Parts: sequence; C-alpha cells; structure tokens
Amino acid sequence: MTTNKNSFFKNIAIFLAILGPGIITGSVDNDAGGITTYSVAGALYGNQLIWTLIPSFIVLFIVQEMNARMGIVTGKGLATLIRENAGVKVTFFIFMGLLIADIGNTTTEFAGVAGSLEIFGVSKYISVPLVGLIVWILVVKGNYTFAEKIFLIFSASLLVYIISAVMGHPDWSAIGKSIVKPEMALNTSSMTMVLGIVGTTIAPWMQFYMQSSVIEKKLKISQYKFVLVDILIGSLATVVVAFFIMVACSSTLFEQHIQINDAKDAALALKPLAGEFASAVFAFGFFIASIFSAVILPLATAFYVSEAFGFEAGIDKKWNEAPEFYVLYTGILLLGMIIILMPNAPLIAISLWTQVINAVLLPVVLVSMILLVNKKKLMGEYTNKPIVNYIGWFTVIILVAMSLSLLVTPFL
Amino acid sequence: MTSLTTFYLSRLIGCKLFDARENVLGKIVDVYVQLPMNNQTAVDNSHRPKIIAFCINDGKSVRNVSLINVQIVKFNTRYKVQCQSMTDVPSDVLSNTFLLKDTILDKQIVDINGRKLVRVNDVRMVALSSGAFVVAVDVGLEGLLRRIGIFKVLKAILQPFHIKIPSKFILWDDVEAIDFSSLNIKLNTPFTKLNTLHPSDLADIIEDLGKDSKTSVFSALDEEKAADVLEELETKEQIHIIESLSIEKAADVLEKMPANEAADLMENLEDDRAAMLLEEMKPEASEEVRELLQYPDSSIGSIMTTNVLTFNENQTVGDVLNIIRQEKPEMAELYNLFVLDSEHRLIGTFTVRDLLVSSPETPLKKIMNDHPFQVYDYDKLDSISELVSKYNLLGVPVTNEKEELEGMVIIDDVVDDLLDKRRTI
Repeated sequence: MTTNKNSFFKNIAIFLAILGPGIITGSVDNDAGGITTYSVAGALYGNQLIWTLIPSFIVLFIVQEMNARMGIVTGKGLATLIRENAGVKVTFFIFMGLLIADIGNTTTEFAGVAGSLEIFGVSKYISVPLVGLIVWILVVKGNYTFAEKIFLIFSASLLVYIISAVMGHPDWSAIGKSIVKPEMALNTSSMTMVLGIVGTTIAPWMQFYMQSSVIEKKLKISQYKFVLVDILIGSLATVVVAFFIMVACSSTLFEQHIQINDAKDAALALKPLAGEFASAVFAFGFFIASIFSAVILPLATAFYVSEAFGFEAGIDKKWNEAPEFYVLYTGILLLGMIIILMPNAPLIAISLWTQVINAVLLPVVLVSMILLVNKKKLMGEYTNKPIVNYIGWFTVIILVAMSLSLLVTPFL
Repeated sequence: MTSLTTFYLSRLIGCKLFDARENVLGKIVDVYVQLPMNNQTAVDNSHRPKIIAFCINDGKSVRNVSLINVQIVKFNTRYKVQCQSMTDVPSDVLSNTFLLKDTILDKQIVDINGRKLVRVNDVRMVALSSGAFVVAVDVGLEGLLRRIGIFKVLKAILQPFHIKIPSKFILWDDVEAIDFSSLNIKLNTPFTKLNTLHPSDLADIIEDLGKDSKTSVFSALDEEKAADVLEELETKEQIHIIESLSIEKAADVLEKMPANEAADLMENLEDDRAAMLLEEMKPEASEEVRELLQYPDSSIGSIMTTNVLTFNENQTVGDVLNIIRQEKPEMAELYNLFVLDSEHRLIGTFTVRDLLVSSPETPLKKIMNDHPFQVYDYDKLDSISELVSKYNLLGVPVTNEKEELEGMVIIDDVVDDLLDKRRTI
C-alpha cells in the first residue's frame, strides 16, 4: 500500500515537472485575436456557434500531440524538420507567410494591450511603449524557467472569464441544447466566423512553439503519458475559456442586440448589462491574454525563421553573434507597436488579412506535419496511428474547402 | 555553352542526364560520395569526398549508376549533364559512401573553426581530370537566396545602392558532417575532426543536435573526451545521453568522470539503471560513487571530490614532488594537499606554493598548516561558499565526525552549485 502511495506522489511530482508546454501553448491560443473572435461570435450569433469548440478541441488536441511526439522522438524543431525534408522553397514560402502573419498577430496583441488598458483609463501612447519595453526586458534579460512560471500564472488567470460569464446569468439549458443540437444559418458570414474560430484556436505558429517547448523541456518518450495529460489539460483550458467568453457575450450582448467590433467593445458593453465588476474582469483577462502572447509571439517567430534559414539564434547570444535573430525579434516587436500607435491605422483590415494568411498557412503546416510524422526514417515506431491520420487529413480537407469557398464566393 | 569546372550541388540535383546522342537517360536524384580512406596515398584532393556514383530516376525506377566521361555544361542558365555511357553499380561499391544531398544539403554540420552548428545552403564542387570532389559548403545568405531563386533579382536591385549580399563558404576540411541517420552503414572513421574541439564547445554543439545525431556523435568520441563533454552538459541532457548508450559504454565513460560528478548524474537516473551501471563499472570507481551517493543532496558530501593526494608528516618535499610527477594528477587535485596521521585523521594541509618555495629535504611537518580550515561531510552546503570566499580557499578538506579525511570540496563545484541555485529561483 505504501509503495502505491509513494508511486502516486512520484507520478504527481513527475507530472508537475513536465507540466507546461501543452498548457502554455493552449493558453497562448486564447490571445487578443482569439478573445476578439470569440466575443464577436458570441455577440453576433448567440449560442449558435458554441458547438464549433468541440471539433476545435479535437483538432487542437491531435495537432499538439503530433508536435509533442515529433519533438520527443526526433529532438528537432518543426522548422528544422520542414527545412531538412521539404527543401528551401517550401520553407521559404511557409516562413515568409508566418513572418507576415505574425507581424499582423503582434499588432493585434498590442491592439489588445491598448484596448484593455483604455478601459481602465490608460492612454495607448503610454501603455503600448511601456508594455513593449517590459516585454523586451523580460525576454532579453529573463530566462526560460522564470518566464515559464510567469506564463503558468498567466494561464490560470484566464479562468476569470468564468466570472464574467456567470455574472451575465446565462440560460444554461439553452446553451446545452445548442451544443447537442446546433442550429445555424449557413451563409458566408457565419462560415467566415467558424473558420475564424478554428483558425484562431489552432494558429499555425503555435505548432512551432509547441514542438520547441517540448524539446526545451528535454522530455523523454517514457514520460509520454504525462505529456498527453498536459496537452489534454491545455486543450481543455483553451476551449473552456473560449466557451465562457462566448457565453458571456451571448447572454448579454446577443440578447440585447448590441453590435461589437472587438473585445474592448465587449468589455465596455458588459458594464451596463452585467455590472462594472464583470466588465473589469473581462478587460483584465483581455489584457493578460494580450501581453502573454506579445511576449511569446515575436520571440517565437524570430526563433523559427532563424532555425529554418540557419541563422544563429538565442537570447543567450550577443547582438553581433546573432544579428539576424535580434533584428527579426526587435523588428517584429517594433512594427507591431508602431502600427498601433499610428493614427487611423487600418486595424480591422490588418486583423482580417492576418486571419486570411493564417487560414492559408494552417493547412500547409498541417500537411507538412502529417507527412513528417508518418516518415518511418524520422519517427521509427512512433508514426501516426491511422485514426490520427484520418482526423488530420479530414481537418485539412475541411479547412481548405472552407477557405476556398470563402475566397471564391465574393466573385460569384 | 561552357564546360564547368566548379558547380553547385543544388543545381545538379533534378538535372536531366543526357547520353552522347542527346537522349534523356533520367533525372539526377542524388550523388554518392566517398570519404577518403586512411590508407590512401596523399594526392592533392584525396582528403575531400569524391563522387563515386549517381543516383538517378529514369522514369520507371531509381537506379544507382556510374557514368563515363561526365561533362557538366552550362546551357543558358541551367546545368546540363552529359555522359558517354552509363552502367549500374553493384551495392558493395557503395558500402563506404554516403548520399551527398541526403546527408549534407539543408542539414546541420559542425563548423570546426567557428565551433558551432551551421546549416548548409549549398555544396560547392569541383570537376577535375581525376574526378569530381566536394570543395566547400555554402552557409551564407547568398547561397540561400540562390536556392530560393531570387539572388540575381535582389543583386540587381541592390547594386545601385552598393549593398552586397554576404556570402560565406567553409572549406570541407573545416567542417564535420554529422547527420548520418539516413545511412545503414557505419563509416569507419567518423567525426575525427570533432575530437579537436574543446569539451565545452562540443557540449554546446551536442545540446543543439537532434536525438539520433546526439547519440552517434557522442558514441564516436573516445572515453576521456566523452567524459569531459558529459561533465559540461546540463543534467537532463546527461541523463538522455547516458540512457541512450549501452550499459557497457555508459559505464566506461562514467569511470573516467570525477566520482562526485558521476554520483550527481546517477542520482537522477532510474534506480535500476544506476544499479546496473555501478555493477558494470570497475570496482574502485563504483566504490567511490557508491560512497558519495549516500550523502543527502544538501550536504557538503554530495559535492565533494574523493580524488585527493595524502601524505604523512615525515615525508619530504622532494618525496611529494616525485609522487606528483609519477601520478600526474588532475589540476583540481593540486588545489590543496593533505597530511594524515596513521589513523587517517587530518593533521595538516599544504599547497603547491609551499612545495615550490621549500628545499627538497624539508619534511612536511615543517611546512604544513597544522590548524587547517575544514568542514564535516554532513554539514549543510549553504555555508561553504562564504567560507571559500572569505579564506580564499581553492580546496577545503572534508572530514567525518572522527576527523578522518573523506575528500575535498573544490572551488569549481562550489561555483557550479551557486549557479544552479540561481538558475532554479
């Protein structure tokens, strides 16, 4: 009996040490863009689109599991694997797309920082440069274990959305019904919304981040079951947070027919409907999510682009040892901040185009991943099980079909 | 149409292969190159890989062929490969070769002079009367842009601004290919150039490698080097490496490591594996490790080394110098030297300086410090760093409660311990 108990505690200890990659990646999924998309979806369609979180969850889980497995077995990042197996041209296409999309994403994160702090009365001309500086210092002067601990606290604080949702007194039975038996109007705008939800939950750059953090943690295949639990919790947390954001907006804004354009509007509109506290909590969550992703995104992008093209990379390197890496990192961060601070910046167009590039890149990255993870030479006995391949290919086909139909419809 | 003497691998791959009558024989998929043999006579280019055969796709199947009178010509902007005749190559000819594109192009290799990993954008080759050879690898931006196909356009755009696109080549002599995971055979003398690198540079490189390469590079090092490299690696990385090696090889490497480092490593291994390793190691090495493993993590004993030089008080300076010359101890063992009584109790310490400034016939009792500063093996670790800095000590003797000498804490390990603590905060 004592041995059982010991091994139980030992397992808990191992799990806590491994904990991280899945949960953090899952939380970064709910960035400023994500919260905006969920808010707008809830406000515009009420409970109609909540069901999309279930397929999103399945795909998110499967994709991250593939990343984790590839990272553990090969010890190589996704960028390296793509470069080594697909050659320079495919790599160039993917990473140029990723770079442009991530500059757009970073802009969205800073828009989130600016928007959420404006609710608390802070001007964006103060908040954006200040947050940018803090982010830069945290990354350049901090270290990974320290950053990871902060990130885990960030992740937990995203659960504040539960409070916002509950304070709007939602009709739980109606929500339950809409998940079990979804009803939605099939048209261009609702399909764009669905694609937006899936695209923001499974953003392409996330795959690169996930695989690298598994390698960074130096996980072993014998720890695989703990990794699975980590990914499961991370994926669940992602959709749970998304669920409560949609519920919060649906039970208040949708019922009152209030139109919103972004998450900041949602937080402001919540004030008269669910009370000042619910509004403040919503804004706080939005701020945390934005700053969280503003830390990870520019850094991650600089890393993958450097990794793919063979530039020296790493925050432990000096500027003249890794010039491309630092130029990329600082450049992405600065561009994102500058665009936000420009008067009359076309923010809606930027976020729209970013989502389009993401939607085009996602199937490309997924196809590369499925092809790589099925290579016996790389993965040995740990290639995909058929069921994972079916779901993977099915996702790719659905995503491509939806993207294509949306690209084509305006011309019909 | 000009015949080429130097050419790029990336542009050769995918080229059509013609015979003398302009018939298409197939497309070039890859080339087999042979590393120079040790017993080969020293011809000018013999230390460079030579193309032995071509791997081509003739539309129906992939074939390994050797070509007679090959000529690579530049036709407009493309390469054209022409040969007189083509014959299939039996697989035993290819037994000591590797596929150049598969192992080198787009892969990471070690830049020996730069002491780091670089990614290969292209391979520059030369065609001579004696055959075609690898000259250098292209790791610069120019090669990358050329591969993407935008180099010429960019160059033309940038020329008016006098901006040059940087190019960087590294000679084959100064690189070591490492990613042989696609090969089924073992090369006979792999990674010889890596042995010239400093252990901590090698450790940095190994940490950045993929799993398979990590194991193969590490296994190829000789045991002394392997032990030095292992010492430099992070704990988690050490465990990965030790677990990926065979028990025999792992035990051989651990024997060469200082006992305290080996004990630290083993504490983090699974119990069964640690037991198997201790079983496999030479008795004298495993005994020391076993002793150290008994100490709790936060005690002085857990970081001390048991490699110490001890003498009795009647020995002379000359005796000691002779012993040191014979035993050739590591630098760290000379940080502090100890004098014991017949019961193995510590009665004094002396330093290399004391030896150097004294005449050979002086007995140790005349030069030793007979009130040495010492710590106990079960003391807490926290205090040691202050004491080391306060008294400017390089090595502090560690005794048990009976005042018998157990070992010595050296300053390097105190520093490591401090750094570890800072890292985990």
